[in-house]
Amino acid sequence: MANEELIYRITRAVYERLGADADEQTVSNLVTDIYRAVEPEVKAKGVSGKREAVSSSSGSNARGDTGAGDVPPADDASASRLVVSVFGVDRPGIVASVSQVLADAGCSIVDINQTVVRGKFAMVMIADTRTAKESAAELKARFRQAGERIGIRIYAQREDLFNAMHRI
Amino acid sequence: MEYTQAEILQTVRMTEMENLDIRTVTLGLSLRDCVGDSVAETASRVKAKINKRAARLVSTVNEIGDELGIAIANKRISITPVSLLGGGVRDRRGFVELAHAIDEAAAEVGVDFIGGYSALVHKGFTNIESEFFDSVPEALATTARLCSSVNVATTRAGINMDAVARVGHLIKDAATRTRETGGLACAKFVCFANAVEDNPFMAGAFHGVGEAEAVINVGVSGPGVVAHAMRHAPKDAPLDELAELIKKLSFKLARAGELIGREAARRLNVPFGIIDLSLAPTPKFGDSVAEIIEAMGFERVGAHGTTAALALLTDAVKKGGAMASSNVGGMSGAFIPVSEDARMIEAAQLGALTLEKLEAWTSVCSVGLDMVAVPGDTSAETLSAIIADEMAIGVMNHKTTAVRIIPVPGKTVGDFVEFGGLLGSAPVMSVNGFSCEQFIRRGGRIPAPIHSLRN
Repeated sequence: MANEELIYRITRAVYERLGADADEQTVSNLVTDIYRAVEPEVKAKGVSGKREAVSSSSGSNARGDTGAGDVPPADDASASRLVVSVFGVDRPGIVASVSQVLADAGCSIVDINQTVVRGKFAMVMIADTRTAKESAAELKARFRQAGERIGIRIYAQREDLFNAMHRI
Repeated sequence: MEYTQAEILQTVRMTEMENLDIRTVTLGLSLRDCVGDSVAETASRVKAKINKRAARLVSTVNEIGDELGIAIANKRISITPVSLLGGGVRDRRGFVELAHAIDEAAAEVGVDFIGGYSALVHKGFTNIESEFFDSVPEALATTARLCSSVNVATTRAGINMDAVARVGHLIKDAATRTRETGGLACAKFVCFANAVEDNPFMAGAFHGVGEAEAVINVGVSGPGVVAHAMRHAPKDAPLDELAELIKKLSFKLARAGELIGREAARRLNVPFGIIDLSLAPTPKFGDSVAEIIEAMGFERVGAHGTTAALALLTDAVKKGGAMASSNVGGMSGAFIPVSEDARMIEAAQLGALTLEKLEAWTSVCSVGLDMVAVPGDTSAETLSAIIADEMAIGVMNHKTTAVRIIPVPGKTVGDFVEFGGLLGSAPVMSVNGFSCEQFIRRGGRIPAPIHSLRN
C-alpha cells in the first residue's frame, strides 16, 4: 500500500511551490519521483487524482457538490480500469481468448495474475479502458460469448468497485 | 496486483452468486412547483416535470450497473406527497385524475414504481387531505405503478387515531376493489409512524418537504451475502463475533452502494442524497433475511430468540453502514416482508412464524409489519387495531414503524395468495378474533409520550 498521507503532503508542498496552475502531469511526475526517493520500496505507481484532494482542501472545489465525498467515484485511474476475473477448468487458450477480446476492444492490459490449482484455473486481469472503442455493455457481451465458447466464466467489473469495498 | 485474489473473489462471489444487488436507485423529485389552478394544469405540469427530470434515469443507471458489474434491480421515483399538490383539486376525483397522470409519466420514463401518493396526517387532517384519503383506494386500484403511504403518528405528535380508524376502512376498500388480484392494491400502500423523508424503498417512498429539488437516493440490499457468512461461521462462534462479521460485510455493501449513488448523481447532475442499507429479501432462493436468522442457530424463524437475533442483525447492519458512509439514511437495517422471503413463507405455513411474533420483531427491525396477508373477512377495526399497535411501538421507541397488510378477499387462514414478481406470495395468517371495535371507534389522539418533551 502506498503511504497516502505522505503522497498528499508531498503533493501539497509541490503545489505550494509551483502554484495552483501548475501542469498536473508535471506535478504528478515530480511527486512520484520524490515519493520513490523517500520510500524506495514503493513500486512504480502513479499518484494522479491527488490534485483534486489538495485543491478542494484549499477551498477551490472544482468538482461541484455531487463529486466530493468519502468515496472518490470520479478517480480517473480507478474508474477507467476494468477488473476481469476468469474462472474455470484449465485448458489451453484461456488467456489468449480473454486477451483477444480486450485487444479487439482497444483496451490494454495493466496487470495479470493467474493461478492453476488442481486443474482449476483462476485469473485476474486489470485492463485500461481509456482507449476502448466499445461500451461496457458491449465488452461484457463479448466476454460472455468468449466464455461460452471455451467453457469458462468471465466477469468484468470496474476497478473502483473493488476500491470502494476493500480499501478505505 | 493492487488487490489480493481473495478480495477480488469475495466481490465476484457477492455480486454473481450471493445476489448482492443495488435494490433501487430512486430519484427524489419535488413537484411543489407543479401546482396549477386546475387539476388538468397540475397534472400536465407534473407529467412534464417527471418526463424531463427522469428521462435519462433508467438508461443511465443501467449503464452504471453494466460498467461496475453489479445488478441494479430497480429504478424508481419518489415525489412530493401528492396531498400537498391540491391546487385546483376540489375533491376525491381530482386526486384520482392526478394519480393517473403520475402513473402515466412513470410508465413513459420506464420506472417500475413511483412513490409519494402520500399524506402526512399524524396530528390532523386538512380538508383537502381528508378528500385525498378517500381517493387512495380508487387511485391504487386503477393504476399500475403508483405507491401510496400515509404517516399517522410521530413521537412528537402522538398517534392520530381518527386517521388510524380511517386507514382500516381504506385498506378494506382497496382490497375489495382489487379482489381479482388478491387485494394487490394493499401491497402498494403503507401506513407509517415516524415516516422518513428520504426513504428510497417502495411502497413507502416519498420526497419529503424538507428535501431539495431533486436528489438521488440508493437502497442497497444483500441478505444472501450475510447469510453465506453466517452459514460458514464456526458453529460455536459467540454472537459478538457474528455481529462483527455482519458489521464488516455491511461496511462493504454500503461502500458499493455509495459508489453507485454518487456515480448516478454525477451523471444525472443531481445531488446525491442518502444510501439506505437495508437487507431486503426477494422471493428468489438464497436472498432471504429469514435464512440469516436461522443460520445463527434456529430451526425456523419465529422461534423464541429470533427477536434477539434480529436485533443483533439490524444493529450490526446499521453500524457497518454508518462507518462506511456519512450519508446513511432512510431506514437502514433489515426488512421482514413475509411474502417476499421464501423462508418466512415456509415458517408461516408451518406455524412457526405468527403475526404476534412479527409484531415483536418490528420493535427491533428497520420498519414494521410488511406484506402480511390476513383473512379477507378481517374487520376494518381489527386492521386499524393492528396498525395502532404498530404505531405505538414506533412512537414509544423513537423509530419508524409501518404496516403493509393485505386482507385477501375470499381467502382464509391456510390459503395462499400470489402477488407475482417482487411482491411474491403469502400464506394467509390468522389474526386474533376478539373484538377491538369499541377502542378503535373512540377515535381522537393518543398523546405524544413523555420523552417527546425534549426541548
